[in-house]
Amino acid sequence: MALIFAVDTGGTFTDIAAFDLDTGDVSYAKALTTYGDLVDGVMQCVEEAGADLCDALLAKHGTTLVINTLLQRNGARAALVTTKGFRDTLELGRGNRTSPFRIDYRRTPPLIPRELRFEIDERIHGRGDDLRAPDPAEVDALADRIAALGVDAVAISFVNGYLDDSHEAFVAARLRERLPDTYITAGTELTREWYEYERCCTAAANAVAGPRMSTYTRRLENRLAEAGFGRTLYMMGSNGGVLSVDRTLREPISLIESGPVGGCIGAGAYGEALGLPNLIAFDMGGTTAKCAVIRDGQFNLHSPYFVGGYGAGFPIRGSVVDIVEVGAGGGSIAWVDDAGRLNVGPRSAGSDPGPVAFGRGGTEPTVTDANLIVGRIGADVFLGGGLDLDLDAARAAVSDKVTAPLGLDEQPVETTADGILQIATVSMTNAIRQITVERGYDPRDFGLFVFGGSGPIYAAALARELSISEVVIPPEPGNFSAVGMLLADARLDSARTMVLDLDAQALAQMASAFEETGRYAVETLGREVEGADVTLSRSIDMRYRGQKHTFTVPLDGIPDDIGALRIAFETYYRNRFGHSDGTAPIEIVGIHVSAYARTAKPDLARLRRPVIEGPAEVRHRPVYFGGDGGWVDAPVYRRDALPSGFEAEGPLVIEEYGSTTVVGAGDLCRIGDLGEIRISIGD
Amino acid sequence: MDGTAKISVDPITLEIIRHGLVAIPNEIDANITRTAFSPLVYEYKDFATGLVDPEGRLIAQGSGSIPIFVANALGNAVRDGLDIYGAEHIHAGDIIISNHAGTLGQHLNNVVMYSPIFADENEADLFGFMCVLVHWIDIGGGAVGSCSATDTTDIFQEGIQYRTVKLWNRGVRNDELYRIVEYNTRFPAMVLGDLDAQLAGTLAGHDKVRALVDRYGAKTVRAAIEAIWDQSEAVARDAVRALPDGVWRAESFLDDDGIDGSPVPVGIEVRIDGDRMRIDFSGLGKELRGPLNSGVLGGAYPAARIAFKILTAPDEPANEGCFRPLEIVIPDGTFLSAGPTAPMGLYSATLPTVIDTIVRAVGAAAPQVAAGGHHGSFCAHWFFGKDPATGELFQQLDTGHGGWGATAGSDGSGPFKTMAHGDTLDVPVEVQEALNPLLVESIALRTDSAGDGASRGGLGTEKVVRAMADCQVSVQIDRTKCTPWGLDGGVDGEPGDAFAEPVDGDAWRVLKGTISLKQGDRFRLKTGGGGGFGRPVDRDPARVAADVAGGYISRSRAEAVYGVILDEKGGVDVGATDAARAAWRL
Repeated sequence: MALIFAVDTGGTFTDIAAFDLDTGDVSYAKALTTYGDLVDGVMQCVEEAGADLCDALLAKHGTTLVINTLLQRNGARAALVTTKGFRDTLELGRGNRTSPFRIDYRRTPPLIPRELRFEIDERIHGRGDDLRAPDPAEVDALADRIAALGVDAVAISFVNGYLDDSHEAFVAARLRERLPDTYITAGTELTREWYEYERCCTAAANAVAGPRMSTYTRRLENRLAEAGFGRTLYMMGSNGGVLSVDRTLREPISLIESGPVGGCIGAGAYGEALGLPNLIAFDMGGTTAKCAVIRDGQFNLHSPYFVGGYGAGFPIRGSVVDIVEVGAGGGSIAWVDDAGRLNVGPRSAGSDPGPVAFGRGGTEPTVTDANLIVGRIGADVFLGGGLDLDLDAARAAVSDKVTAPLGLDEQPVETTADGILQIATVSMTNAIRQITVERGYDPRDFGLFVFGGSGPIYAAALARELSISEVVIPPEPGNFSAVGMLLADARLDSARTMVLDLDAQALAQMASAFEETGRYAVETLGREVEGADVTLSRSIDMRYRGQKHTFTVPLDGIPDDIGALRIAFETYYRNRFGHSDGTAPIEIVGIHVSAYARTAKPDLARLRRPVIEGPAEVRHRPVYFGGDGGWVDAPVYRRDALPSGFEAEGPLVIEEYGSTTVVGAGDLCRIGDLGEIRISIGD
Repeated sequence: MDGTAKISVDPITLEIIRHGLVAIPNEIDANITRTAFSPLVYEYKDFATGLVDPEGRLIAQGSGSIPIFVANALGNAVRDGLDIYGAEHIHAGDIIISNHAGTLGQHLNNVVMYSPIFADENEADLFGFMCVLVHWIDIGGGAVGSCSATDTTDIFQEGIQYRTVKLWNRGVRNDELYRIVEYNTRFPAMVLGDLDAQLAGTLAGHDKVRALVDRYGAKTVRAAIEAIWDQSEAVARDAVRALPDGVWRAESFLDDDGIDGSPVPVGIEVRIDGDRMRIDFSGLGKELRGPLNSGVLGGAYPAARIAFKILTAPDEPANEGCFRPLEIVIPDGTFLSAGPTAPMGLYSATLPTVIDTIVRAVGAAAPQVAAGGHHGSFCAHWFFGKDPATGELFQQLDTGHGGWGATAGSDGSGPFKTMAHGDTLDVPVEVQEALNPLLVESIALRTDSAGDGASRGGLGTEKVVRAMADCQVSVQIDRTKCTPWGLDGGVDGEPGDAFAEPVDGDAWRVLKGTISLKQGDRFRLKTGGGGGFGRPVDRDPARVAADVAGGYISRSRAEAVYGVILDEKGGVDVGATDAARAAWRL
């Protein structure tokens, strides 16, 4: 037996997907996330799945520990060492107020308080001149001072360090030597992109998260070893690649979106296998919906990422999957405000008390209650029948809390319920527009790939709203993050800001930067993945001089032809904006190197559950489709009874453990070769 | 729930249309940020996107837009277009621009572009206009950047005026006008690049609105817009009703107009009567010789509307309905209602103080909205010259951020830019240095700059820039004499200040004016702190000790102003503190 498994610790559940390479069997399990000690939840999950760790070849793990540590502010007490004159960069931010009319607007406080921020008299100018090197005596004196403070971590971030990391490297080495028990991190070890505030926040966040993440990772390693696991543990990075424990300990900030990225990897893999290179990955759970764009099997990375949201949070530079999130999930509450307007979310009833229909004390109507009223969710099938839903309570709550305040008393309650769902759909389509239209993509050029417990109910409706013609719902949509992690390779991304006019000298500078970052990536991944064949992909960012928007040109090798780069840029620009300027100077803004090392992974065809033999039992129940559709007595299928090749026209419903798919009238539904549900949206 | 009775479109369709309408200007906002050429547009976000009806009334505006434009600069331009052409001479495919001071009342850099949206193919049913305002970084005039001088005395020194002209006519590009634009700016590549971004945004917004109207029908969308206005109006009226009835007054002043040197009075009267508010600007100083003037639509309206929104419904998306309970009274000939030829280069610089004063007037009667004064000055400092590395002109515009006022419950926030700003980002030091021959030596919080109080104000900052090549810097700072006020026994914040520090001579103060720096000379800018709230002696000693530990206030100030005596380790010496405070409280 040879087993590979992935465990994803989420907000409510910890999920596992385990794949036996010899038999092809795949097993899934869920356990409640254990907030006292997260490792307990992971181990319970492993036990639940009946996985024998002595046979395991590979383990992968995603966790929300880093983001939660930063949001809940329960990380290490850390100090900051920065350039003389810039002690307050971390607190000053960029001077903006995202709520312009709020006189009491404020940001979350800086991660490191002012009394723990120190300056070193060093300076590199923004055009590269080394004006003043750090004085060893000053660094040593500062080390003594920091030692006396009893901090657990130190972050180092110098102005213009992105151009030249030698000062940070010198100070980091010296502090590591003199403070061997303190967690020390330099901003340029994490990112070589410009913008001093953003890089400083990144270094501070890494220092604050570092000690706790180290303790956790070591404990997890030990518990797995005790259970017989003797091979390599990898952690799920926000860039969609797994990283070694060593790298996790150095750069825990790389795990900032460790959970959601799993689904994106999975979507990319299915897209590739199904010949659908361009997908919008859409994940809807209990409190939020998230979406990401996948092109040619790759999802986009975005920087900066805001911890705690753009409104009042702080930025992180790094390779984080580009996700737009909106407060619309199954537990989102529908409410009418003082001006008589119907709102859905962002408040959520979560799993406790949960929707009214759960009968656990919830009194505010939610999206799930609305879905029950219109028959899109069956009262007896939620979580495989494990939870009976109270339809009457849901109807009463929607009537009292929404229908009456809106003055719609003369209308049946399903009209209001349908309205709640329409508004939830609109806010989800706005999120998808944000990740596509605002990034310069047309959603109509994409398929919609939907997962998460609550996602498949909306899949067809969202696609219709966005004029998307093709929908895919993979097997196991409720466990899909863990499935995606099973499919993840090891990956390392390096980006470097270097602002240069496009000329021969720039080519030489880029070549040496590419070689340096490439060598580092190959060495690092070579160490992380035994016997790995490391592949590199390179790209450069270009723009017209002075413009903000940059175009990333993928490269076959290290570039050596200015003319070809110019043509590539102008072709792109013309396609995007309808014009280009053959004489305007073009700038290089930065380079990227992504390195990949393949890890063992399952064949997608084997991820579906076995199909139940014999004629599929089909029930019927009334489902309200709104508008002209009204109530329809729709067939309800069990997903595990539908073989590949099955075809039917909507309206229909497909149920499985933890998820329900709704197909509208005129839409054609088919089960594909990988067990995926495909829906072609009718005109 | 007063508004529901009037709704003729069902509440669910209404919400769907509302989401759609609000999303359009925000999508265009993101589009322009991505495609603009000048940092003033893509970082500082000196632009606005919005949709107005056939009468120029605001339907929806991008939420990232600078508040100054919420007063509906967009609609003002459209109304001028309707006056000049008549609706019957505005056609599908027309793109019209205007920066006319006489109608818009703002500096000439603010160029509004708009395009009509017809609900039908015959151009019979005009639905509204998609509008995008962008600050063009230079439109000629005497100074680099056009609006950077502090000593202009009429509008003609500040650039060219394009009063309501068609850049595109029925989809045909007006090459002559493009040539005029190109040859009336010092930075043609950047201005034309930004113009392209502005045009692309206007066209894309037009198409999106048109698609929405096609889908739901013009009649339904219009009914929805009426309902949206009514609902926003109801929210605003409820908020006004919660404020105390009466006539509330406050006074402050501006340092000077940059030329005459004498203070400019800012007298505000606010009358609250049930669910209506009237802001009366009769107590403002006269039109100024220097460039701090604005027209009534570009000055008085934004100031009153921003203050009104701060006081009533700060989170409500801006539209015409929000402002229905507000009446604005202003005589002709004040600095916020100046004539069409008055200099307006620095028109926005007065607004923070005017807004601050309106908030002060109402706050005196309504503690729930009261806050100490904020630093209140743009603290614009604008470097320009020839970059020896490229041989080309460079310009680097930055504004200062300072402390905001304390409220009864919490310390002042910041440092932020002013009440006239919003989601406007500083240009990072690393970008400033990479693009310009400048060295930013420090940007730091100013110890002891906050107004003391039971809640203290936010701190001001101090920034030092060294010129790496000979260049000039244009400086504009105010509120140095009328300091950010404390309330209810709170102390005033420290005002801003600025100095030139020649490498081979004595430092000298420069508050408004353009000065030359030689290579190696420094420029030092201090921004003000916010006013305090309540008596300092009533501040919790533990919070004073924490402020001393962080260096926000000095130990000596803790003793002298707060009566808090600290022990050697920085903890509160309770006995000594009680004794010191007891004497003061008498």
